[in-house]
Amino acid sequence: MFIYLIRRLFTSILVMFGISMLVFSVIHLVPGDVTTAILGRQNVNAEKVAALREQLGLNDPIIVQYGRYVSHALRGDLGNSIRTKQPVSKAIAEQLPSTFALAMSALTVAILLGAILGLVAALRHGSWVDTFVMGLSVSGLSIPTFWMGLLLILFFSVRLKLFPSISNGSSFADLFLPALTLGLPEAAVVARMVRASMLDVLNKEYITTARAKGLLEQWVILKHALRNALIPVVTFLGLQMAYLLGGATIVETMFARQGIGRLAVQSIFSRDYPMVQGVVLVTAAIYVLINTLTDITYGFLNPKIRLQ
Amino acid sequence: MTSNLTPSISHSNSPGMRMLRQILRNRSAQFGGILLLLLIFLSYAAPLLTDFDPNRNAPSQALQPPSIDHFMGTDNLGRDTFTRFLYGGQLSLRVGLSGIIVGAVLGITLGLVSGYFGGWLDSFLSWFNDVLMAFPDILLALAIIAILGPGINNAMLAIGISFIPSFMRLTRSSVLALREMTYIEASRALGSSDIRIMLRHILPNSVRTLLVLVTLGIGSSILAGAALNFLGLGAEPPTAEWGAMLNAGMKYVRNAWWLTFFPGFGIFLAVLSINLIGDAVSDAVAGTTIVKERK
Repeated sequence: MFIYLIRRLFTSILVMFGISMLVFSVIHLVPGDVTTAILGRQNVNAEKVAALREQLGLNDPIIVQYGRYVSHALRGDLGNSIRTKQPVSKAIAEQLPSTFALAMSALTVAILLGAILGLVAALRHGSWVDTFVMGLSVSGLSIPTFWMGLLLILFFSVRLKLFPSISNGSSFADLFLPALTLGLPEAAVVARMVRASMLDVLNKEYITTARAKGLLEQWVILKHALRNALIPVVTFLGLQMAYLLGGATIVETMFARQGIGRLAVQSIFSRDYPMVQGVVLVTAAIYVLINTLTDITYGFLNPKIRLQ
Repeated sequence: MTSNLTPSISHSNSPGMRMLRQILRNRSAQFGGILLLLLIFLSYAAPLLTDFDPNRNAPSQALQPPSIDHFMGTDNLGRDTFTRFLYGGQLSLRVGLSGIIVGAVLGITLGLVSGYFGGWLDSFLSWFNDVLMAFPDILLALAIIAILGPGINNAMLAIGISFIPSFMRLTRSSVLALREMTYIEASRALGSSDIRIMLRHILPNSVRTLLVLVTLGIGSSILAGAALNFLGLGAEPPTAEWGAMLNAGMKYVRNAWWLTFFPGFGIFLAVLSINLIGDAVSDAVAGTTIVKERK
């Protein structure tokens, strides 16, 4: 286990190294001169350009620049925003809780709804209920997040006037529509997985044994089958954070919510490169962290993985 | 039923034909296929189906609900939404297709090279792939747009690049399994060049597994394209594109539902049709797979 742990951590560090290089090079890959891109063609004068080059540290050799970027980033300093002049890390720290609340509530929607639908479909395998749930699931997978959000706004907000279509807080009413928008397509995936996993588990011999012991059917399903069927689903959910973090960009724009996704899009528009770099770096780092933790947990649970 | 009893003359029995027949027999693939053909027809036959110009403003006709004259109503500038829906479909479908082509060509090439040559090149490319995969979902495309700047061509390129990792990974694992096969060794003994072995012997045998990724990828690519356009990072106004139309219509969501409903419905139908076909392809491939994937 120790060797597995070290190897897994080493891979993650290598990947983070690559991410930092890619993110760092964003500013150098901009076609033409980056200062012109930021200042716009009309505003270019030698003084401003020189000041900006100084601020971005573009006058040093590239290796020095990269070294400085990494050593600063490791200490939590991601530079200053070009537009607001504020530290990038501060702006991200302000926006992160909102995105986190959104992702977590979407995950809750996905697990609750997905598990119930998947369970029902598996228990009524082959019946119209099963066909209906699976049809719902394929549709859920094909619905673009932004259209889903729109339908929810049209129904819950415009027609029923129950929930706001612009929501910035973390209260139930504020999070309800954004969480559904982000969580429903995910629930479709979870429903498929729970169904497949339940069908697999229900054919296992220990289920036959449990039934042969004369246990109540509900007990067999809940205690013996469902608990085992959820193991692969739970590990899978860790990986789905990618989808949630990416989807947050769209949902935040749609509902005009605060969050790092919206921050990224706005910074791209305003050509605030340090901010874009910061958001991308932090999001990718969170994702790598989650993946590493998922893998390590999996290694604990399943010895076969460790030995590969 | 009777067709099974009639002996058929031209039934080829190659695995490819068998697979194709299996896909064509699949109910959901039939439905998806018809839906997709219909969408393509509607988009490209747009000039025949409507007399309106997608970009001409008619302020006196602004924000009219769906009627006989305007099936899908009009937008804030009085443009016919149905016309824009048809023309927008062309662009949305094209963005999806271009994205997947760029991603597949680059990803498959890198995967072939990486898996076939192995060694430090493989280690380096695999590491690079892991790095690309560490950008969640649309974030890689966003980062690329940040570099290249917004625009429809840049959006296609960004989507394409964000598809490289999945293609490269799948191709590489399939090459690793094939590389050790006896017929590859035989071909090498006969003096075939590396490129010939890769293109003539390894690639055709990986096509099966890649086919599933390509089909389902078109759907994801259309979605990603629409998402970038929705965020305003793709097509510039007044260009009609489903995602961009949705974005523009968001301002009028309270009083003109048709502006956002129809473009979204278009994206949904396009992705649904491709997912239905993709599921059938995936079933058919699973039924006829020769090469087992190796992790």
